[in-house]
Amino acid sequence: MKKRQDALHIRIKRQMKRRIQGLVYFIKRLWAHPKGKIGLSVVTFLVLVALFAPIIAPFDPYDITERAEKGLSPRLQHPLGTTINTGQDIFSMLVYGTRVSLVVGITSGLSIAMVGAILGVTSGYIGGFVDNLIMRAVDVLLVIPSLPLVIVLTNVLGRDYWIIILIFVFLGWGGLARTIRSLVLVIKNSNYVRAAELAGASRWRIMIKHILPGTSHLLIMSTALSTAGIMVAEAGLSFLGLGDPTAISWGRMLAQAQEGGALLFGAWWWIIAPGIGIFLAVFSFMRIGIVLEEILNPKMQASAGIFKIFKSLDSSYVEKVFDSMDEEDRQKTGAVAPQPSAHSWEDV
Amino acid sequence: MKKGYVIKRILYSVFILFVVTTLNFFIPRIGVDDPAERYYPPQGNMSDAEYEVIKQLTREEYGFDVSTPEQYLNYLGDVAQGDFGTSFRSGNPAVTGLIADRLPWTLTLSATTLVLGLIGGILFGVFAATKRGRWQDTTLLNMSTIMTALPAFFIALILSFYLGFEFEIFPAYTNPNLVGDFSFSLDGLQMLARNAALPIISMSFGSIIGYAQTTRNAVIAVTNEDYIVTARAKGLPQRSIRYKHTLRNSLLPIVTSLGFSIGGLLGGQVVIEQIFNWHGMGTLFLEANEMNDYPLMMAIMLLLSAFTILAILVTDLVYVLLDPRVTVGEKR
Amino acid sequence: MEEPTLRMRKLKVIFPSGRGIIRAVEGVDIDIEKGECVALVGESGCGKSVTSRSIMKLIDSPPALTRVDELYFGGKDIKDFSESEMRKVRGKEMAMIFQDAMEALNPVITCGKQIAEIFLRHHDMDKKEARRETVKALELVGVPEPASRAKNYPHELSGGMRQRVLLAMAFACMPKLILADEPTTSLDVTIQAQVLNELRNLQKSHDVSLLLVTHDLSVVSNLADKVYVMYSGKIVEKASLRQLFEKPHHPYSIGLLNSVPKLSDEESGFEQIPGTVPHPMRKPEGCYFHPRCNHATEKCKKEMPPLSAINDESEVRCWHPRNMEREEAMT
Repeated sequence: MKKRQDALHIRIKRQMKRRIQGLVYFIKRLWAHPKGKIGLSVVTFLVLVALFAPIIAPFDPYDITERAEKGLSPRLQHPLGTTINTGQDIFSMLVYGTRVSLVVGITSGLSIAMVGAILGVTSGYIGGFVDNLIMRAVDVLLVIPSLPLVIVLTNVLGRDYWIIILIFVFLGWGGLARTIRSLVLVIKNSNYVRAAELAGASRWRIMIKHILPGTSHLLIMSTALSTAGIMVAEAGLSFLGLGDPTAISWGRMLAQAQEGGALLFGAWWWIIAPGIGIFLAVFSFMRIGIVLEEILNPKMQASAGIFKIFKSLDSSYVEKVFDSMDEEDRQKTGAVAPQPSAHSWEDV
Repeated sequence: MKKGYVIKRILYSVFILFVVTTLNFFIPRIGVDDPAERYYPPQGNMSDAEYEVIKQLTREEYGFDVSTPEQYLNYLGDVAQGDFGTSFRSGNPAVTGLIADRLPWTLTLSATTLVLGLIGGILFGVFAATKRGRWQDTTLLNMSTIMTALPAFFIALILSFYLGFEFEIFPAYTNPNLVGDFSFSLDGLQMLARNAALPIISMSFGSIIGYAQTTRNAVIAVTNEDYIVTARAKGLPQRSIRYKHTLRNSLLPIVTSLGFSIGGLLGGQVVIEQIFNWHGMGTLFLEANEMNDYPLMMAIMLLLSAFTILAILVTDLVYVLLDPRVTVGEKR
Repeated sequence: MEEPTLRMRKLKVIFPSGRGIIRAVEGVDIDIEKGECVALVGESGCGKSVTSRSIMKLIDSPPALTRVDELYFGGKDIKDFSESEMRKVRGKEMAMIFQDAMEALNPVITCGKQIAEIFLRHHDMDKKEARRETVKALELVGVPEPASRAKNYPHELSGGMRQRVLLAMAFACMPKLILADEPTTSLDVTIQAQVLNELRNLQKSHDVSLLLVTHDLSVVSNLADKVYVMYSGKIVEKASLRQLFEKPHHPYSIGLLNSVPKLSDEESGFEQIPGTVPHPMRKPEGCYFHPRCNHATEKCKKEMPPLSAINDESEVRCWHPRNMEREEAMT
């Protein structure tokens, strides 16, 4: 009994190790790509900012009562100035806003990948009625305009962040599930899945062990892209004043800027700051997603840089390459042209 | 064969619309036993007895005094006749009338954005594809990442800040008198154009770049196809290869993406209308949300979904015209 | 003697890439006489498709860089022909048959229109005449009910019919040279035989030259007069059909022939050439074939052998050509 447990333990350990190795491999590939490096660096930077927000932020961003200095323009003490109506420190708000954006974005992105994978694989592999049901649900989800639906649902269910995340996941899994499903339909007919089926593996096991890993690249990519998408959506929701009212988020900062008269008083930094926050976060995740797509889909990669390569080609090197193909000629015309019969006996 | 496919597509669209309508009926009923509680939530200073009376009144007013299945059937019947009930606004105007008042204003924005986006996007996309791998193409790719990362509402704010307040080129907010003063005269149209400029520009950026990216990818995918090499091997001139062989095939993925993008366009417009205080369905929707005006909110939701379903249906049918391969149940 | 349909000297094609230069074709000479069928044989990835497309100048730069010392076609020097000059040659004097008709035909245009395009382009015809000629062309390649088939889209036809549409396109203007790139690989064996028959009959009866690019030696034995064996971007053996099948000299040719299963074979199973074609970016020193060759010596590892004549009918690129003793005895 103990032996079996040990064996199980080792197997789990080995699997974990392989997963981690896989992840490390992905990150390495990303890092090797110049654009991926930018994306990865910015994401790491944002995560650090979110984690150490209380240390980085010079003021309490929630403090709206004890500020005497309202509507300051950027200066040493307030790198991004203060808000016009409440005198909050905009830089501190920006730093804290990272938390909301990242937490909502990444949590939703990961959950969407999970739900999309489960439903997509189920739909593709099981087929039949289940497949039909899931795909019809996707069709319905894709025709309802998402922002209005999110607004209605937050109205009915409440505006806590975990509810907002739940709604984003509920609305976001459709496209991914559909893509995963079509990939699963291909994998399903591959020889190794057939072999596993013939060997009597259970459906459950085949889905987890054989089909799911085949979709992993799509999942990683879509997590990055949907995280980016959710961050935009969250910003939009907060901008409309429909996000979680208790937290500071970039979208809400923009809304406050608009309401607080930033436009009227020319306080451009109040608008630009949260805009840059949103941009950096979304951009870096998208970059990662796009680079992953390029890495995983080499066809796109090969064509991208061809003009650069052509420009940088050294014409004398090219000539040398062409000339190197001629070597035999010099021999042929030279005196040492071999007689076929001369050496044909050598090895007989 | 084709006819069968068309009929099937139409029936399926009706089915999806039916499912969406059903969802619409149930969403306000999530989490409450009695829809009257949703429509008229208990107020703090109200005694239970008073609230009971008010609930009863609400039930009678909105037809909640029958069983849920009956309410559902009534709802379906009303919707089928274009009756979405009455709004919570003072005077209880009919929802249908409120929406009809705003619809043209919303469609003005969306239709213009769509047309601009398509024309600009396809031109830019084809251009980038012919310059594949060169800086023009890379610029498009970079811009499309940047534009996706810059939400339309942020662009709208920046535009309204600079073009509106700083340089006063276009009105930063919609003129409140626009709706009252508008007429189909030269002056009226000019006024409309000036006021619609910033909302349309803010939305067009993303729209153009989005369609350009789709077009570019589609054209490049087709250019790599073997039948383009065949066309070249036949000695056909560039022009004929580009227009007869490449563009027609490239249109297919563009048409497919078009249907779905219309839903996103209509949804995203809500925020833009809010920023510029445009007299459209988006602002109406947000007003309704603020007042918990469920009949109005749900009616707008349903209408937006119906538009998307219609758009997808139309693009699907156009697809059938363009691609002879589609027969019954084959596509997607 | 009549001048050859095609005379090509030292075709070289490279593909620069981010990781290095891919040497696809390294100095290939090809001669095709009028009415002759020449086969270009080799494993996939040896550069044979690139060679055939280069003859038609269908390889773009970028991604490729092409050099050719001589390129005479039908008595004309087309070496420096521009794209627009080539467009007048393509389809009219030189045509191509591609491997997979499903891929090679535009899915949204009817087969008839795709053939008619050629007549409209190269002959002074109106649409009605072009349509009539299209039906004739389809009839020529053995398509039953050509008039109604012309109205079909490619996906509505069977594989064999689609391939015949490609034949009809190639023979539409009765060109001097047809380049057939694996013309039947995508078909079932029985259909393959029919289409090949059709191809051979048309080629012989209209005295059209044919360059047949294939990896399938049974196709070669049915059609070709002369065979070029290509390996890793170079011609390794050039011989008449009879000579090659009876007395192949290059170990690679022998390997190719042995890998075709024969009923008469006494041994069970068939032999394989060990290993794979070298990656075009990392070709070995010396003879490219030496890592897979049983007879390789030190010399093979260091020096690339030249393509040298063994007798009137064959040339081979090998330091130690096989099947030579009998040759000696005969002469």
